[in-house]
Amino acid sequence: MRRLMFLTREAFSSLRRNLLVVSAAVVSVFISLTLVFGALVLSELVRENTARWQEGDHIIVFLNDVPDQTELSLQEEIQSWDEVASVAYCDKACAYQEYKQMFADQPALLDVDPSVLPASIRIKLHNIDTYKDVTYQLMGNPAIRKVVTASEQFDQLSAVTKALNRLALGLAVVLGIASIVLIANTIRMAIYARRDEISVMRLVGASNWFIRVPFLLEGMAQGLMGAVLGVIAVWAGQSYLINHVEPTFLIRLSVDRGFLVAWSLAILVFGALAGVIGSTTGVRRFLKV
Amino acid sequence: MILLEGVTKVYEGGTVALRDIDLDVKKGEFLFVVGPSGSGKSTLISLLLREQRATRGKIWVAGKDITKMPGWKVPHLRRSVGTVFQDYKLLPNRTVSENVGFALEVLGRPHSIVTRQVQQVLELVGLQTKGDRYPRQLSGGEQQRVSVARAFVNRPPILLADEPTGNLDPATSVGIMRVLDRVNRTGTTVVMATHDHAIVDAMRRRVVQLDRGKIIRDETRGTYESVNGRNDA
Repeated sequence: MRRLMFLTREAFSSLRRNLLVVSAAVVSVFISLTLVFGALVLSELVRENTARWQEGDHIIVFLNDVPDQTELSLQEEIQSWDEVASVAYCDKACAYQEYKQMFADQPALLDVDPSVLPASIRIKLHNIDTYKDVTYQLMGNPAIRKVVTASEQFDQLSAVTKALNRLALGLAVVLGIASIVLIANTIRMAIYARRDEISVMRLVGASNWFIRVPFLLEGMAQGLMGAVLGVIAVWAGQSYLINHVEPTFLIRLSVDRGFLVAWSLAILVFGALAGVIGSTTGVRRFLKV
Repeated sequence: MILLEGVTKVYEGGTVALRDIDLDVKKGEFLFVVGPSGSGKSTLISLLLREQRATRGKIWVAGKDITKMPGWKVPHLRRSVGTVFQDYKLLPNRTVSENVGFALEVLGRPHSIVTRQVQQVLELVGLQTKGDRYPRQLSGGEQQRVSVARAFVNRPPILLADEPTGNLDPATSVGIMRVLDRVNRTGTTVVMATHDHAIVDAMRRRVVQLDRGKIIRDETRGTYESVNGRNDA
């Protein structure tokens, strides 16, 4: 217990003594983790927004005039497919309502017999990428007059989503690795500046762990401080965006609070870990007997 | 206390620093290791500290065979061997008391004991009033006394000194030697590598002379240069 207090005291007094090198390490962690976290939030924003754009009916199946029984069994069959999230039926009356709404500003077209309008089944998919499979399965069925999808838009949207997501995630990974290297390097510099102290410690018979622990605590503290600053920066940036930008755009800028909290914790842990890893590799070469 | 049997140290590249050394140092002895630069004095000291491993032969220090000792036990070895170097090796950002106390903190001694023992050992080296100074505020001789105090504060059975007076003027060196003599009188075995003629001749202790890695003289009350017709060994 006494030793632990001594070691903690050592770690903190050395943080104080080497203020310049320490702030370099903290700032480098701060910047890289802010970028990592920012990239993650960006990718989440992309995901949330594209998910929103994907809402609505994905496939509309117009039916021939067939008995209700056939319509019902077709509906059940479609419902049972794995790709399908939900199915809604719209009969001739429902189709007439929609028709009236659609052409409300063109009264000349409204004079139409409801019975000529086709009933339809509206399909929502789990994943819009599967629309081709579903369309293919529907084709050739005698009860179906026509299958309609926004196929081109689907392809474009999912390509854009994928590209943006990959970009943001790739950025996060690259910056994450960069931050570990940066932390390791900065802590190594801090340790190199104190190699005399380490050699004296070894001279008077300090065990390797005794020498290592203050550096590990120090590295962890540095990583954690940088991570805390990074998390604060991202939260601040988020709330700034929400308060100042959102009303002028159609795009949503607020991410789910649960997402933010979970990733904030992950970033803190990552910062502390990166600090520990950095100082472990930094100390190792000075501890060879 | 220290025993070497057939110890040879060959550095990478083939330089032979020590050749087949046999040496027995008894408890409480004061031993000078003399010889010109490159004769192997410093290599001998660093082998005793296990800073390097002997190429051949066996070395016992404080009852332990250190040629077989695993790396993680080396810190324990160093706790029973105090060391003093030519360049003091003090930490510049710690006070005299902190520098000396460091050796005890490392062992996990309680604060009250650290304070008391540091005070005692500072009295022994004559620096009791300078505990709060920083190394840069002290003269070379005073800094070397601090380093002797640090080496001795946990009362190790052995004290190794590698050219402790190498950076000091003759008058100051005498002061350091008095301190080392005092340490030796407490029963501590002292091994000192030096090429300071005056000191060796004045102290009249056991002298081992090295030349190109071999022991060429071992006298119990020797001088720096061998005297013809006189050999106590």
